[in-house]
Amino acid sequence: MQSKEAVVEDGEITSSVTVPDTEFDEWNNFGDDDIMQQQYSIQADEAKKVPFVGDKEPLSSLAAEYKSGSPILLEKIKVLDEQYAAIRRTRGDGNCFFRSFMFSYLEHIMECQDQAEVDRIQPNVEKSRKALQTLGYADLTFEDFFALFLEQLECVIQGKETSISHEELVIRSRDQSISDYVVMFFRFVTSAEIQMRTEFFEPFILGLTNTTVEQFCKLSVEPMGEESDHVHITALSDALGVPIRVVYLDRSSCDTGGVSVNHHDFMPVAGDLPNASCSSVKNIPFITLLYRPGHYDILYPK
Amino acid sequence: MQASKARLFKEYHEVQREKTADPDIQLVCDESNIFKWTAFVKGPSETPYEGGVFQLSFSVSDQYPLQPPQVRFLTKIFHPNVHFKTGEICLDILKNAWSPAWTLQSVCRAIIALMAHPEPDSPLNCDSGNLLRSGDVRGYQSMARMYTRLAAMPKKG
Repeated sequence: MQSKEAVVEDGEITSSVTVPDTEFDEWNNFGDDDIMQQQYSIQADEAKKVPFVGDKEPLSSLAAEYKSGSPILLEKIKVLDEQYAAIRRTRGDGNCFFRSFMFSYLEHIMECQDQAEVDRIQPNVEKSRKALQTLGYADLTFEDFFALFLEQLECVIQGKETSISHEELVIRSRDQSISDYVVMFFRFVTSAEIQMRTEFFEPFILGLTNTTVEQFCKLSVEPMGEESDHVHITALSDALGVPIRVVYLDRSSCDTGGVSVNHHDFMPVAGDLPNASCSSVKNIPFITLLYRPGHYDILYPK
Repeated sequence: MQASKARLFKEYHEVQREKTADPDIQLVCDESNIFKWTAFVKGPSETPYEGGVFQLSFSVSDQYPLQPPQVRFLTKIFHPNVHFKTGEICLDILKNAWSPAWTLQSVCRAIIALMAHPEPDSPLNCDSGNLLRSGDVRGYQSMARMYTRLAAMPKKG
C-alpha cells in the first residue's frame, strides 16, 4: 500500500517538474516593473468606469445605491435629502478628497465670479511656495503644479480671453494632465503646511502612523493615490484659508432613537476667511464633501 | 507629453549647472532622447562598494513626474535589494512612495543611500539578503566586495 502511493507520488512529481519549470522562469522575469505596469493598466480600466469627477446627480441616486442596505444609512440619507440637493461623485483612486476639493472650489469661484476669493487665496499660495523653498524643495519639482493651479484660478473668472465655461471646467477636471497636476499642487501645499507646523501636527500623525512628520509627508501626503485623513484636510484648509464642511455618512447611531447626520467644519486658523459673497449665511463653508468610510464626494446644499 | 519634456529639460539644465555639486553622481542624458538617461554613481565609502563606479540606466515615461522613472543597475552588483540578473532595484520611492518632489538626481542619491544601508528584509537578491539576515556580515561584504572588483572597477594592467 505504502509503496503504491509512493509510486503515484513519484509520478506526480516527475510530471509536475516540467510544468512549473517554465512557470518559474516566468516568475523570474516577472519584476516590479511588470507589477507597476499591471497596476497602471488596472487604473486605466477603472478610469473607463468612473471619471475623475462625475456628473451632478440628484441625491436620490444615493438612496438607490443603498436600496437593500442598512436601515440606518437609509434613514440618514432621508435626513441628507432635506438639506442637500445633489451629489457629484469622484473616482475612488486615493485622490478623491483633493479632487473633490479642486472641483468644488473652482466651481464655487466660477458660479459666484468670486474675484475677491481669487485675490484672497493668491498670497496664501505664495506663502506655500516660500514654505517649500524654506523646506529645501527645488523650485523645478513643484513650480509646474503651482503654475497650473493659478492658471485654472484665472480661467474660471469670466470676461477674459482665457475664460472657460462650466462645461470646460468639467472636461478639464476629467483630463489627467490637468486634474492630476492640480491634485499634486494641493499635495505640495498640504505637505508644506504640515512640515512648517510640525509641533501642531505631530500628535495627530503619531496617532495615525508611527513615523516622523517628515516621513509622513513623504509617504502619505506627497505620493499620488495616498488617501487623505483629517490631518490632510486640516492642513489644506489652514494653508489656503478655505473652510471645508465634511458630512459623515456611516452606520453610527445614537441610542436615543433619532437619526442625525454628523458633520464637521474644518475652519482655518488664519483670520482672513473668505467672505462667502455668494452664500447668504456667513461662516458656512462653501465646500461641502460627503464622507463615506474611505471615500469623499461633493455635496450640493439646497 | 509636453509637461514631462518640459520638466526633464529643467532637470537637464539643473544637472548642467550643478555638475560639480555632487562629485559622486554623474548624470548624463541621451543625446537624441530626453527620456533616456544614464548615471554613474560612486560606491559609498566604508561599504563593500567603495572604489567602484556603478552605471544606472533611467527610462522615463511621458507620465513623468507623476509616475516614477524606471531605474536599473547596468553594472553587476551584489546587494540584497538589487536583482542579480536584471539589475532591478527594490526601492519604495521608485514604486508606491514616488512623488514629483523627487528628481533623477535625488533618485541617484537615494540609490547611493540604499547601497550604504541595505534592507535585507525585502530582498530581490535572496542570497545576499540571507547572508545579512543570518548575521554573516563578513560573508556579505566579501561577496559584495568581490563583485565590485570584478564589475565596477577598471581592469588592471
